[in-house]
Amino acid sequence: MPPPHFDFEHVPVTFAAYFNEQLRGWETLFPAEREYFERLGAYLEKAPAELFAPLAALEPRMGVTPKSWPRGRFTLEQVDFLNRNALYPEWRRVITSIFESINPALDAAVKGKPRLLIVLGPADLPVGPDRMWTRIKGGRRVALQVPEDVSRFGPMLLDGLADRCAAARGPHSAWVVETGETLGAPLTQATRLSYDRLKRYRGRLMEEVQKIAEKGEVRGPRQLGEKLRTLSPKDAEWAGDPVMAEFVRATLLAGNGTLLVNNTFVEWASVQAIRRAKPSFLAAGFGIRNKVKPFSSLLIFADQDAATPIPTTADMLGSYVDLEVFYQYVWQEAGKYVEYRNNTAYLFLAEGMDEMLCLAPPDFTLPGGLLPLPALNRACAEWLGV
Amino acid sequence: MQTRDFLKLAGLTIAQRILPAPLLAFWQQAAGAAAAGRKVIIVTFGGGVRKAETFSPEGLRNIPRLAALRPSGYFYRNCLNEGVLSHFNSTASIVTGNWQRVDDFGFEAPGSATLFEQYRKSLKAGPLDAWVIATNKSFAAMGASGAREYGLPFGANVVLPKQLLLEAINDIVKKPAAGDLSDRGAVQQRLETILQEGYEGVGWTIFKGGRQMDKHVRTTLTRAMGEFINGPEAPTSGDELTFFITREVMREFAPRLLLVNFWDMDVAHWGSYSLYLQAITKTDRLTGMLWDEVRENPKYKDNTTVLILPELGRDGDVNTANGFLNHRSGDASCRNTWLLALGAGVTKGATDTPIRHVDVAATAASILGIRAEGMAGSPAKEILV
Repeated sequence: MPPPHFDFEHVPVTFAAYFNEQLRGWETLFPAEREYFERLGAYLEKAPAELFAPLAALEPRMGVTPKSWPRGRFTLEQVDFLNRNALYPEWRRVITSIFESINPALDAAVKGKPRLLIVLGPADLPVGPDRMWTRIKGGRRVALQVPEDVSRFGPMLLDGLADRCAAARGPHSAWVVETGETLGAPLTQATRLSYDRLKRYRGRLMEEVQKIAEKGEVRGPRQLGEKLRTLSPKDAEWAGDPVMAEFVRATLLAGNGTLLVNNTFVEWASVQAIRRAKPSFLAAGFGIRNKVKPFSSLLIFADQDAATPIPTTADMLGSYVDLEVFYQYVWQEAGKYVEYRNNTAYLFLAEGMDEMLCLAPPDFTLPGGLLPLPALNRACAEWLGV
Repeated sequence: MQTRDFLKLAGLTIAQRILPAPLLAFWQQAAGAAAAGRKVIIVTFGGGVRKAETFSPEGLRNIPRLAALRPSGYFYRNCLNEGVLSHFNSTASIVTGNWQRVDDFGFEAPGSATLFEQYRKSLKAGPLDAWVIATNKSFAAMGASGAREYGLPFGANVVLPKQLLLEAINDIVKKPAAGDLSDRGAVQQRLETILQEGYEGVGWTIFKGGRQMDKHVRTTLTRAMGEFINGPEAPTSGDELTFFITREVMREFAPRLLLVNFWDMDVAHWGSYSLYLQAITKTDRLTGMLWDEVRENPKYKDNTTVLILPELGRDGDVNTANGFLNHRSGDASCRNTWLLALGAGVTKGATDTPIRHVDVAATAASILGIRAEGMAGSPAKEILV
């Protein structure tokens, strides 16, 4: 489907550039993104000139001219132009102000439906439930009946939820993102991302990054990103899905440590999924990251196992500290979007832990007493209506 | 005629009549400092740390040394970075006294004269009297600007120890026969080879003898590198190496002007909060050890002012792209950090009044007794009264 066409001649060039850049990647946008940009485009076409007056006044002061910024063009030059401009902070404030004016009208068109976010910590964290989810404000603690075999915790909790949600609301409406391969293993319809399963593609990307860095072909991360734009996950499961192929590539290359640290991948992929695909169901399964090795850690894109004979060991305490922050980031990301406000149940759990934290609207109900995982699974299915 | 030109001609006697008393006292202080051969060390507590993890009630546990030193110095609770939020531009703004908007990754020199150039040109200081020792490997151009009438002949020696270490490790990884990374001897040997071979390629800029490395410099740094490699702790950190090299430079060359760039905490980009906190605590320890050296080294004791500040913060946890991982949002958490001044001429105290990054070079210039030209920043008179 070709991108829609909008008349943006009246929109200041720095704002229009952002929008046009999104349209250029139309074939790699999720349905939720396309709907948003169609709403935004239609709104902007009819938007009064006053909405853009502060930006129109600011652009000449920034040195924006048809020569420095041709209409319809948005390249790294323009990105650098903005970043280095003395008035960049003011430009950001004006852009934020424009969106604050636009968003209520765009949000009003979004119909709410029950959503569910499950954040699952790994077994082996060196703390009890009293030290978990300390950055999440509010909610209630619920006692859980856990299986003796900890490896069954995640599968029992999620049992069929993601696939049923995907069957009802579309494949990009249900996601399982994890460091390992256990949570998503049985999925047939939902979107599944696994750090471990992407090992070959990650290795190829790291080799390319290392090669390019050694050759000195690029000046900085943005140029590197451009260079790697074509390096799609051909050998991964997303070869036939341009939307997910681009999502995976962008997640691994634009997410800082996502290539290197398993939990960073899960956090950034989850945040990006929430931001872009707006799934009704998302389960984020974190793991334990490895300790940093002497010397080889400085060579960030080298294969850490090959670079040193020092054995790889897990960093339990470090992982616990990392994840306390990531729980917060995933949770608060959803809260930024109208799709999730007031209709989302958040469940924070850890494999084998006999307590969870639940933040949910009043109509998300759970059976009383010690809660078995199958009962929790049923409550979640009822909430989603799947 | 500019006011300061007038003052120069008129001298202190006339200045006493026309200047407000605090300003006059400040100027006299600066003149006294210069006469005493005052030294300045600027420490960028980097690369990128928020108040939340440092000088906040919950952050103090990460910085026990700085927290303990704070009462003996002057503390600015608000230190503003109003420029580009990249490491190079932020640090270049600190050392030039002007907001820099050059290439983010060090492919361009700062656009206006650095403090090093102004110092060396103004006082005809020697090439070993101003140094930049930086963990950030993109800082090769930090020592000298592209400004007319300044530039490389007046620049600082720039040493990038981490880049040197990286080259050595990379070489060993590629050539297994040379030894693996657990073999410190092999690494040291490779480091020494690099020092002998081609230092320019790994980030050295030594302004002596037609850009040839001085024998004394080479010997000193090779020895320091060996001590680092064979030290009691497993050397996992570029900042540790930067500290060791800095200490050797202080002991051997005793420069009057030194920029020490710590950078390990930029590991936050990897998305590990625990590694970020560990890096902060390590930088705190190294900064404390640097202060110990200042107090114990007879060439620095009682005549050195140390200015410690992050070159930038990191994004806040709320309403930003990804919180502590990045530092480009421009929010208060990113732009507003702190500055701690210690040592000679520094009064004790603290203030909420903001200081800007561009004020640092102007302050250092005053301490060194030079007339800084063309700086947007102003001397921080609070710490020098």
